[in-house]
This record gives sequence, C-alpha cells and structure tokens, in this order.
Amino acid sequence: MRTLIRTEVLKLRTVRWPWVLFMAQIGLVILGVSGYAIARGDQPIDAQVALGHVGLTSLFALVLGLMAVAAEFRDHTITDTFLVTPRRERVIGAKLVVYTLLGLAFAIVTAAVALAVTAAWLSARGASLDMGSAAVWNTIVGAVLWDTGFAAIGVSVGALVPNLTLAIVAGLSWIALVEGLVAQVIGSGLARWLPMAAGQALEGLSIPGRELLSPWAGGLVLAAYAVVLGALATVATLRRDVT
Amino acid sequence: MASVVFEALSKQFGPVRAVDRLSFEAQGGRVTGFLGPNGAGKTTALRSLLGLVRPTAGRALVGGRLYAQIDQPWRTVGAVLDAASANPGRTGRDHLRVIATAARVPASRVDETLDRVGLSDAAGRRVGGYSTGMRQRLSLAAALLGDPEVLVLDEPANGLDPEGIAWLRNLLRGFARDGRTVLVSSHVLSEVSQTVDEVVILSHGTLRFAGSLDALGDGSVTIRSASVERLAALLVERGCEVRTLSRDMLEARGCTAEEVGRLAAERQIALSGLSDAAASLEAEFLRLTGAEASSPRPAGAASRRITMG
Repeated sequence: MRTLIRTEVLKLRTVRWPWVLFMAQIGLVILGVSGYAIARGDQPIDAQVALGHVGLTSLFALVLGLMAVAAEFRDHTITDTFLVTPRRERVIGAKLVVYTLLGLAFAIVTAAVALAVTAAWLSARGASLDMGSAAVWNTIVGAVLWDTGFAAIGVSVGALVPNLTLAIVAGLSWIALVEGLVAQVIGSGLARWLPMAAGQALEGLSIPGRELLSPWAGGLVLAAYAVVLGALATVATLRRDVT
Repeated sequence: MASVVFEALSKQFGPVRAVDRLSFEAQGGRVTGFLGPNGAGKTTALRSLLGLVRPTAGRALVGGRLYAQIDQPWRTVGAVLDAASANPGRTGRDHLRVIATAARVPASRVDETLDRVGLSDAAGRRVGGYSTGMRQRLSLAAALLGDPEVLVLDEPANGLDPEGIAWLRNLLRGFARDGRTVLVSSHVLSEVSQTVDEVVILSHGTLRFAGSLDALGDGSVTIRSASVERLAALLVERGCEVRTLSRDMLEARGCTAEEVGRLAAERQIALSGLSDAAASLEAEFLRLTGAEASSPRPAGAASRRITMG
C-alpha cells in the first residue's frame, strides 16, 4: 500500500494540472471574500459569512477527486496501472487516501488565504477579526472538512463514471443545479440530507430560509456519502472490463 | 521457463462472442505470432490473459498461474496493449518512473530501458509532443522495465517506420534467444513473418491454425512461363517436386523463387510470372481468415498443439 501511495504522489508531482486547480481555488476564494466585502458597502462585514466562501471551493475539490481515476481512463494509463497492480481495490484505496489528503491540504491553505483576506477587509473598515470566536472556527474547520469530503466523493464518482467529461459535467451540474431542483421535489426536510446541503451544514452558518442539519450531523452525512460511494466504486472497479 | 497457455477461453460482450473457446500455447524460446484481421478477438484474448478482461469461460495462464495471482507481475510479464497510453503532460522519463515505482523496479532501470529503446534524448520531453513511433518505443520501454520472462505485445508495429520494425524484430528475436516467451499480435502477416517462429491464427474469435510458420505456408513457388515442360524437367533434375497447374503454370516445392529465376535465366527460358513462398503464406493466411473460413473447421494436418475446446 505504501508503494501505491508513493506512486500516486509521484503521478501528481509529475503533471501540472493539480497546481492549476489549486491556483484557481485560491483565486476563487479571494474573489468570493472580496466580492462579499465590497457588496456589503457601509454595512459591517460578518467574518463568518466571509469565511464561508471557503466552502465554495468544494467544487474544485470534487474536480480534483474526479481526475484521480477518470483521467487515467482518458489517457489509457489505467491499463498499465492495473497491469502493474492487478489488485484494483488497492489502487482505488491509495487514490482515495492521496486525493483526500491533497484535498485537505489545498483546503487548509485556502482557508488560511481566506482568513488573511477577511482580516484585511475588516481592518480596512476599522474592525478586526476575532480569532477567539468559536463560530469563526466552526466555519473554517467545517469548510475544510467539506472540501475534504468532496475530494473523496470525487475519487469514487470518477471510478463509477470513468468518462472524465461526463463525470465533470455530472459533478458540476449537481453542485450548480441538480441538487437544488431535487430539493424542490423532495422538500426541504429531506433535502437537508443531500451532499451539498450536508457540506453547507458543516460551516454552521445560519442562512435565512434554509433548513440545514447541525454541523456534526452534516459532517457525519458527508462521511457516510464518502464511505458508501467508496464501496460502490471499489465493487464497480473490480467488476469492470478494461478494454 | 514461463509459457503462456490459453485453455478454452471464451469472452462474450453482450450478444457478441469476441473469443470462442480459444486454446493454444506460446512457449519459451519462441516468438509466437498471434494473427488475425481487425476485430478477430486478438485484443480481447490478450486482455483476458492479463486480467484486464474477465473471461466468460475458460482461462489463460502465465507460467501455470493466473496473471492476478502472480506476485509483482510486472517483473514476470511485460505488456504493450495500448501505445497511446500516457499522460500527454508527463515527460517520457516521468512516465516510466511512475510505472517503475508501482512495480518496485529500481529507478536505475528507467534510464537503462530509455537507452535500450533509443529514447534517451527525448526522455525529458512531454509525451504530448512524441510521434507515434516514439510512443510505441516508450510503451516498449515500460514493458521492459521489469526485465520480464514473458513479453505480450498487441500490434507493436503500428506506427513504426521500417527501421523501427527491424529494430523491434531484433529485440524480439534476442528475447526469444534468451529462452523467454514472446507473444505478439498483428493483423498483417507480412509484418511479422520474419520475426515469428510459431503462428496462431484467429478469425471471428475462433482458432484457425496453430503451428510453426513453416507448417502454415506450403513453401511452394508458383511459376508462369510459355515453356513449362522444359522448365519442369530442369527443376526435377535439380531435385524439386513439380506439379503442372495449367498449360503455362507450374508449382514447385523444395526450391526457392530465387533458384528458379536463376535457372530460367541460365537456360534462357522466359518467365512471365514467379511468386515465392511468402506469397503462398499470405494466401494461406487470407484463406484461413477470409469468408470461406467463417465456418469452424479443424486446422490443416500440418498443424500442431491444437486443442479445440
């Protein structure tokens, strides 16, 4: 397993796209926090809401995870990967570990950047960031875990839908559109249990008109999605003919 | 020595029977050509052998074991199944480093194999800028990383220039000389006829022939001339076996086209046509894989090691 983890890390280090994704993630959070601060105008900036933008980067964490398996199918490198390691469940396991940890690492840096940008906007308005606030830390830690969970979910979805284009279109449209439409159909009580809602719940923000689980429950639900999808992805990968 | 054995292997894709009860053996010390037209089921059979495709029935073994049961399989079997298989953004060297790491092959093998396939100069460039021939060489380098006992190559000559094909031939011949096993597929017999010792012919997923290359072709030379009778007499004198096909056509065995041509020139006999054994090989290959061979039937009497499942 250590060999496979080293292999996955080497694969990531020898291509450029992870860094492009990372830079985009940082850019998005700077834009998100600043956009919120500017839109507030004369009204005070709510640090928790500003930091909540870190959770938006779960979109990038999902794409990061999707690349793990689906990009190997696109490049046909999955053939060599499974020839060298016929124990396919180990390959999926190593990818889950490496990409989830990378999602976590990217999210921690993103959260640090968000804190710095938020602090800068607050001081520009003559206020300061209260780092002792439990609510602020809930949002930061929650957002980081949201990203981490979505990276893991992405790996599994990419293994279940090994067509990279299809996987990314499906993943992004779920985040941008489909979950909202499903929520309208099943009602807000059930919609709390959907993946994006569970991620939002982790941040512990009170959003008017929005019914969410508690942060703890949201975290458990997201973890459950990751575990169930991981199991499905492993079974599907073991059964798949690589032609 | 690890040989490759197919035992009544079948693979069904939905309504399509891609491979139907395929049995043959590729032995150590021999280069076995796995031939058949595109869509004959060669790739499916090779992917079943290597654990990428799950057979519907039967099995294929390397050295008596299923591929998935081999510990560190890349050090026993090297394979090229898909020459386009590389991330275009990775350099050639990094592509091999990734495989070497996963296969637990010493990192020093990367530069050794790059050198062996003649890619040392391009090793630092991204694979996206490689030509088809360079990608083939890179795939071969990947297959050679683990210094394997068995090489399995699916259409390795595609995209190689004549120089590359000659280089590949030397590589495979050298491999077999070391007593190792080579199984190489192609849809063009002439591409591998100078490389292989044994031939396995597949058509519509069914085995048509398995035996030595010599047994496939009848080694005959076809001659067209206005003076067939005189030429026939001369050829018999030289110990050739001669059969008259028509008023102006002869078939000779036991002599090469070159010998016939030289003899005719010496005796000033005009030839209007001369085709050698290679052409008869090709004709036999086409006959076995062509429309008339679409109903299953046993291969010719000269064939060996056939077990129809």
